[in-house]
Amino acid sequence: MVNPEHTAQIWSILEQVPDPEIPIINLVELGVIREVEILNDQNDLKITITPTYTGCPAKKLFEDLILEKLHENGYPKVEIISKLNPAWTTEWLSEKTKEKLMKEGISPPTIGDRIVQCPLCKSENTKMVSAFGSTPCQSLYTCNECKEPFNYFKCH
Amino acid sequence: MKISIEKSEARFLLRLADTSTILGQRLAEMCSRGPILEEDIALSNISLDLFGRAEELYKLICTIENASYSPDDLVFRRNEREYFNLKLVEQPNDDFAWVIARQFMHDIYAKAVFSQLVNSKNSELAGLAAKVLKEIKYSYIHSKDWMERLGLGTEESNTRLQRAVDHLMKYVEEIFMFDAVDQENLADCALIHTTWENDFNQTLAACNLVRKPVMPLTMRDYRDGFHSEHLGTMLSVMQYLPRAYPDAKW
Repeated sequence: MVNPEHTAQIWSILEQVPDPEIPIINLVELGVIREVEILNDQNDLKITITPTYTGCPAKKLFEDLILEKLHENGYPKVEIISKLNPAWTTEWLSEKTKEKLMKEGISPPTIGDRIVQCPLCKSENTKMVSAFGSTPCQSLYTCNECKEPFNYFKCH
Repeated sequence: MKISIEKSEARFLLRLADTSTILGQRLAEMCSRGPILEEDIALSNISLDLFGRAEELYKLICTIENASYSPDDLVFRRNEREYFNLKLVEQPNDDFAWVIARQFMHDIYAKAVFSQLVNSKNSELAGLAAKVLKEIKYSYIHSKDWMERLGLGTEESNTRLQRAVDHLMKYVEEIFMFDAVDQENLADCALIHTTWENDFNQTLAACNLVRKPVMPLTMRDYRDGFHSEHLGTMLSVMQYLPRAYPDAKW
């Protein structure tokens, strides 16, 4: 029998793995870690992850960071499985996670990229400078009010 | 290393994967050569998307074929004749107009193909296609936007884009010479062709460009591993390191 407390404990360990590009949020909040399975009632784990963007350079790093954190916490045998279906979507980001992004200066995704708010002055009067930004998940914007340049997390 | 890929689905996906890899490599060659910083970032981002897409497709191929080789082996240990990318995407970056015309022609094709693959019976492929479609949307908006800017820009930009379109058109015909493998893996091949034609013709018209008649194709089909002279030199650059140091890890 798998003890639900044990599973919860593993999830809380995984919550300590930050996103390498946006360290303010962790991989659980980002929705990268989909399933945790405890095998043989022991300490062997199977972790299912979903890549955010197919070309995300952090894809391999996600796996390394997950393994490192679980090894540190006494789980030497961990298998990581990458699953493409269902496809990762920014809809999996919670409101709380979006608030965190905003605080970090990254405007969170909105449906259809329609309303993009400036993380500094909160104005919605902003314009896209480039659809492509510093990472595959972000676009470059400027605020028309306070002139702040900022990153916007694309809606995917 | 002799890599043989047998199953119809794997052979079909290899065409898409190789097309992504080769176009990704062409765009990577543009890194630090974009006309403005934002454009440089855009092309590198799109390149990254293409490599990521290729990697996931190669992984699916390895699973389908129950392979002993890896995605890296597929990229670095195959010769020209074992590559099955569209000839269109191996054409060099002659100037920025070529980069844009080639990208636009590719994007409308890729969009039509992956729109059908979202309904694939292979659920992992369907998931990947759903993801890829969202990524292609950005590339498509980008290339179409530049088609307009160059086509409707100055006399010089229009002339250059027209020249690029004229040259690249001869690599378009083979895209739609669908064979049994394509038919088995796509729901509606004819729809891909008509979707492409409609989008392409409308865009040309809106961008003050014309579609000139193309000489009948004398080159043999990419589906049989036939390429223009450019793929070989490109692969020799791309594969140099892993071929010279086969055990190198990075």
